[in-house]
Amino acid sequence: MNGPWVEKYRPSNLNEVVGQDHIIQRLKRYVEEHSMPNLMFTGPAGVGKTTTAIALAKSILGEYWRQNFLELNASDARGIDTVRTNIKHFCRLKAVGAPFRIVFLDEVDNMTKDAQHALRREMEMYTKTASFVLSCNYSSKIIDPIQSRCAIFRFAPVKGTQIIKRLEIISEAENLNIKRNAIESIVYFAEGDLRKAINILQASASTTDEITEDSIHEIVSKAKPQDVRKIVNKALNGDFLSARDLLREVMVIQGTSGEDMITQIYQEISRMSMENLIEENTYVDLIQSIGEYDYRIREGSNPRIQLEALLTKFLLKGKAD
Amino acid sequence: MLWTEKYRPKNFDEVLGNIKAKKEILEWTEEWKNGNPQKCLFLIGPPGTGKTTFAHLIASEFSDSIELNASDKRSYDAIMSTVGEASSSMTLFGSKLKLIILDEVDGLHGNDDRGGSRAINKIMKEGIQPVIMMANDPYSKRITSFKSKCKVINMRKVHTNSIVSFLKKICVKEGVEFEEHVLRTLAKRSSGDLRSAITDLEIMAKGEDKITAEDLELVSQKDERSNIFDAVRTILKSKNPTRIKGAMRQIEADPSLLLEMVTENIPREYEKKEEIEKAYEMISEADIYLGRAFSTRVYTYWKYAYDFMSVGVALSKDETYKKFARYTNSSVYTMLSKSRSKRDLQSRVAEKIGEKLHTSKKVAISQFPYFEVMFQNDDIAYNMMMYFGLEDDEVKLFRSRKIKAPKKSKSKKKEDVEASKSKSSTKKVESMETKRDNKASKTQKKIKKADSNSDSKNNKKSPEGSKNIPSKSDKKAKKNENNDESKGKQVSLFSFK
Repeated sequence: MNGPWVEKYRPSNLNEVVGQDHIIQRLKRYVEEHSMPNLMFTGPAGVGKTTTAIALAKSILGEYWRQNFLELNASDARGIDTVRTNIKHFCRLKAVGAPFRIVFLDEVDNMTKDAQHALRREMEMYTKTASFVLSCNYSSKIIDPIQSRCAIFRFAPVKGTQIIKRLEIISEAENLNIKRNAIESIVYFAEGDLRKAINILQASASTTDEITEDSIHEIVSKAKPQDVRKIVNKALNGDFLSARDLLREVMVIQGTSGEDMITQIYQEISRMSMENLIEENTYVDLIQSIGEYDYRIREGSNPRIQLEALLTKFLLKGKAD
Repeated sequence: MLWTEKYRPKNFDEVLGNIKAKKEILEWTEEWKNGNPQKCLFLIGPPGTGKTTFAHLIASEFSDSIELNASDKRSYDAIMSTVGEASSSMTLFGSKLKLIILDEVDGLHGNDDRGGSRAINKIMKEGIQPVIMMANDPYSKRITSFKSKCKVINMRKVHTNSIVSFLKKICVKEGVEFEEHVLRTLAKRSSGDLRSAITDLEIMAKGEDKITAEDLELVSQKDERSNIFDAVRTILKSKNPTRIKGAMRQIEADPSLLLEMVTENIPREYEKKEEIEKAYEMISEADIYLGRAFSTRVYTYWKYAYDFMSVGVALSKDETYKKFARYTNSSVYTMLSKSRSKRDLQSRVAEKIGEKLHTSKKVAISQFPYFEVMFQNDDIAYNMMMYFGLEDDEVKLFRSRKIKAPKKSKSKKKEDVEASKSKSSTKKVESMETKRDNKASKTQKKIKKADSNSDSKNNKKSPEGSKNIPSKSDKKAKKNENNDESKGKQVSLFSFK
């Protein structure tokens, strides 16, 4: 039973981690010294924050890493109570068979400010028994007192060449028949997100024996929210109500995230501009709006409402009636 | 000052209606003051019938009082720490009585107010200080334990005529011209709730010198949903900020609900693209402040959100529309309730997958499209199903067809044949049980049958003491207990034993 390749080929030690070389160098020094400060890993999705944290825990805690490693990753079950009880219980005990214990908290930027403040107290109280590794997408959403207690490591999107190397290793191990340009096409769609890249590869391999650029395109378009083009066109044609209904369906029922939607909308508008379906000036105006609403969504507003508002911009810029 | 406060009765004589209740309350108060402790007084009745008014009037008869209502946390500890001491200890100079008022006791929250009723029972038992409790719903389960120990007074709705005459009095004092039938409509609509009648009147009349039937449009029906619709209507129809703010003050809706309702109906009222765009800009702005309030826990930001979603949206139109537009509830809510089971399923699967892949549910869901593709392949689907420990119904999230048993397990098929021979009788029972099932569940049943067959084999073996296998079958049985649709299987298990 091998499961998904993202897990099967997850690096188990620091040497295997793809990209992020300077970060790995620093972390290895902590391993040699058997001590480390509190760490904060920040960076976009799929660049290896969790992988690095687990690999680091394995190397620094040694044989009994499981007993001394607490991973809290369900971003939704982490109110102030969890911070107070679970972490406290874990940190109160001294590490056995390892120099100290490690608490790994994923997506800290999704924790409320109150919970973050509670966390800050825990970090202070247990400096002797435990170290914290926090990961987040946006360090700006982390309260200052926590940032000042951590060594911050900024993870960059994985470089194309490095993704290619990794995909080639996997393809060889899995005996895949894959064209070079197909791999390059995966890299293009993955946008520096190695998890996405590997999932695209496995999805393609599951449908065909010979992976070509076309089969990659097919997978990617299958995996895309299908209705984005329809939504955009309806809004441009002045049919706001049906555009809005469709948007709601995609987001509420299918559960597509706001970030995904806005990326797709951006790509759709770009495509339309390249195919001369919209004028250059209109294009720039629309991109301006998309950028603005993207920012608003990431700032923590309700993505669906913001996207509906974005659609009204399309309504204005649409074909004159 | 709100009119409901301004015209709140200053003494018992001014209270409208409920004459019998008034008499009993007065007697109760007198007894206490004469040094005869009485049972706790329990006022039960619909909103706006004067419960709070009575309580405050009684309070003014005593030297001191404490009040706890639904906005306070009312767990055992919270109640005991604020009221507990007062209830059991006399003040230094003996004669002083401290009135304890517990409002909305039927609203004790099961979780947040854990132990609240226990605390109330304790206080009533001690009975050194006068206690008044109020509740709306006489049939609420939460208050059954108190009722028997209290002097219960049922408050009746105020009669329409009394309300009308009271409204008239207010109009005269405020110098507002009125037509009698307008006041009568207001009174009727309030259905015996004097407070809401006064509130409605205030919205219509404050700052105006006369009220007409048209103004009735501004206010109305009392249940919250329709109140929200009225607020939405006022926002979309009017361009008068004072009037809109008045309507906003009247509702007690959660801001995100109101935002959703206004948003829903903007394109139903506004016709010009520019208006829709401008209004949505305001909605976006309001939503940003709701987000900020939530993430920083600074709820004073709500006021900006309220202003953007009301006055901001209202002023986005060039001029008011004179048409009738049918407003609707947000389609988001219907979608949410229709898709609940699907979303539950999604989140269950996301949790299982996220646990294996070290990610949050959100990240797991973002990878679903790729899993959907992978699950079309039988072998991979089977592999993934086992890896993540997905149940049959959870697999359906990714593929509609059932997963064929993998090629390697030929032995299992043999078992199938064997078992089906030995079990033909039990099978009949099963098929009778599940006759009405549709195709989809039939396919499920097949898989389950394979399961149960292997189980049955395990059962045969278990006496021989192989450690692994019984525990496996245990696990399966456990899993199936959780599974609603496993009736068929359980039947077969029992009959086999």
